[in-house]
Amino acid sequence: MKAVMLTSYPRTLTVVAALLTLLMLAYGGAMEAVYPSLLGVFEWLETTWFGVIGKTWGAAFAFVEAVHLLGLALLGGCVLAGDGRLLGVVLTDVPVQTVVERTHRVFVFGLSICLATGIFMACGVATKIYYLPVYWFKMLALSAGMLFHFQIRRPLLGHDIQNLNPVVVKMVAVASMLAWFMVAATGRWIGFSG
Amino acid sequence: MNELIYNLAVWLDDTEWSRMLHESYYMYNWVESTHVLTLMVSLGMLFLIDLRMLGLALPDVPASRIAERLNVPMLIGFAAMFITGILLFYAVPVRTSQSLWFRIKMVLLVACAVNAFLFHKRMNESVATWDIEPRAPSRIRLGAMLSLTFWSIVVVCGRFIAYDWFDCNTSPNTLIDIVSGCVDGQTRF
Repeated sequence: MKAVMLTSYPRTLTVVAALLTLLMLAYGGAMEAVYPSLLGVFEWLETTWFGVIGKTWGAAFAFVEAVHLLGLALLGGCVLAGDGRLLGVVLTDVPVQTVVERTHRVFVFGLSICLATGIFMACGVATKIYYLPVYWFKMLALSAGMLFHFQIRRPLLGHDIQNLNPVVVKMVAVASMLAWFMVAATGRWIGFSG
Repeated sequence: MNELIYNLAVWLDDTEWSRMLHESYYMYNWVESTHVLTLMVSLGMLFLIDLRMLGLALPDVPASRIAERLNVPMLIGFAAMFITGILLFYAVPVRTSQSLWFRIKMVLLVACAVNAFLFHKRMNESVATWDIEPRAPSRIRLGAMLSLTFWSIVVVCGRFIAYDWFDCNTSPNTLIDIVSGCVDGQTRF
């Protein structure tokens, strides 16, 4: 128990500090200083192969959008099954460690699909999303979700879950679901903006 | 038949609630977002069940347990998708009923339902003999593959409905117009 606390809590604090730094950069004026220089990067993204294909062939863009949704469905299924198990809502007669460990592999596959298709889509509409606040919210949410999953949730649940405080385990599950819901919801809202 | 569907769609389109839903920026977007986000619950659970049968996810957990335990959240997700799907259709009934992609999607949804029925029937008949095997027998795996394929195409078609490539009066292709159920000179958005 003591060992778990010593390794996990500094890691948690580091991630929280990283997220707070990101937020401070985003809203504390630093983003305003960096933002104009990023326009060149987004303009360049539209000239890449992905950008040209995405802008030229609407059907290719729409198909990749659909694959992005399929990746999201896979990712969401793993999050809900894993976190639902931590909350004691689904698969309650399967060991927690088994569900968390086995769904992680599929989660990584779903996340990889989302990232690959997301990069393609971003290239196709780069100069549009550059001006959308909701796109930057999504990037913040995605960074938070990935940091949380790989730097807090996974290392913490890698230990014997029986030795962890049940309240902490449940808070991890709720935080994880909220983080990925935020990623999906902000992503959906990009389509309605601009 | 197409005229009947068209007239029914026009009748729906003329109702006040349909117009209100269509023209409400936030309400329409909330409904559409809910429709898309509940994919994570419905298809997420379905994909896990199908991947378990193929031996690609949770291979050391009994297949029947995965199918039974994830069935309930999956059905809750599908119920939410079904309700929001009807609302989306109700908001834009004429254009949607004359969409090639919507029609393919509806046919595939029926195929998905038949496949799901056969899949569960076959699984319940034989699961006792292979429940703890990492991979299900070939007949069950075929059902899982079909399920993954059909639902993936459903998602692609659902996404394509938003695009106007083959809308009535814009497509020069007569065959597509016939399949889409276009009625001469009659369409609305």
